[in-house]
Amino acid sequence: MKMIWAVIRPESAQRVIRALDAAGIGGMTRLHVTGHGREMGIALGAVHYTEIPKEMLMIVVSDSEVAKTVTIIRTEAKTVSENTPVEGIIGDGKIFITYVEDTFAIRTAGKVTRTRSDT
Amino acid sequence: MKQIIALIREEQVEATKAALEKVGVRGVTFLYATGHGRQKGYVSARELAGSSLNRNMRMQLESVLPGGEQTDPGTNGAPVPADAELAFGFLPKRMIILVVYNEEVNRVVQAIVNANQTGRYGDGRIFICPMISAIRVRTGEQGNNALS
Repeated sequence: MKMIWAVIRPESAQRVIRALDAAGIGGMTRLHVTGHGREMGIALGAVHYTEIPKEMLMIVVSDSEVAKTVTIIRTEAKTVSENTPVEGIIGDGKIFITYVEDTFAIRTAGKVTRTRSDT
Repeated sequence: MKQIIALIREEQVEATKAALEKVGVRGVTFLYATGHGRQKGYVSARELAGSSLNRNMRMQLESVLPGGEQTDPGTNGAPVPADAELAFGFLPKRMIILVVYNEEVNRVVQAIVNANQTGRYGDGRIFICPMISAIRVRTGEQGNNALS
């Protein structure tokens, strides 16, 4: 089982969630976060903003679903402009993948060995 | 690649940001969180009277204590001695999440510790978790390239 942390634009969050839902990846946790990437935020005149609002999705999926999930997030979260037809635009976000040792369902107090789409 | 999750005091956020920039950390995510550690959110009355509290915490405090006075419901409104401890429950904290290369971990942890250590309860915690991979959404770069 793997845990996917995706930091994405608030504008694309709903699109990503819908696409994941359509692909059968329904369980996720959504967090409102702030932060910046290697550009260290945005400077507008004399004001330097280092805490840019983002959405963070925390999704736990089985190993076999990781590639699909990452592809969906990438496709839906990437913004496209005329200047950047292939690459997205700075600030599209990041996806991190880590592993989960055990998962327990509180309702049943049982160990979760398979996610929904495995069954 | 490692994920560093740090829980720090709200008033140390700007100092931490500066410290992280100094050690070359570029990408950071901030969350507002509440919680408590082993002390179960106890804060000494002396510290509450001090100036280190931020506005957020003061407002919460005023909603807990009638009239904004340092009284404890358990003492029927009697003033609390300056060295008493007040049960405050869930304290406002800031959670910082960053992902760094393995060889950066010690340097970054040291920077966070240096920026946040006051020696009093509530300085926070730093957790380090393994991270398998990272993907930059814009370009699709993977692994260490996504962080560089």
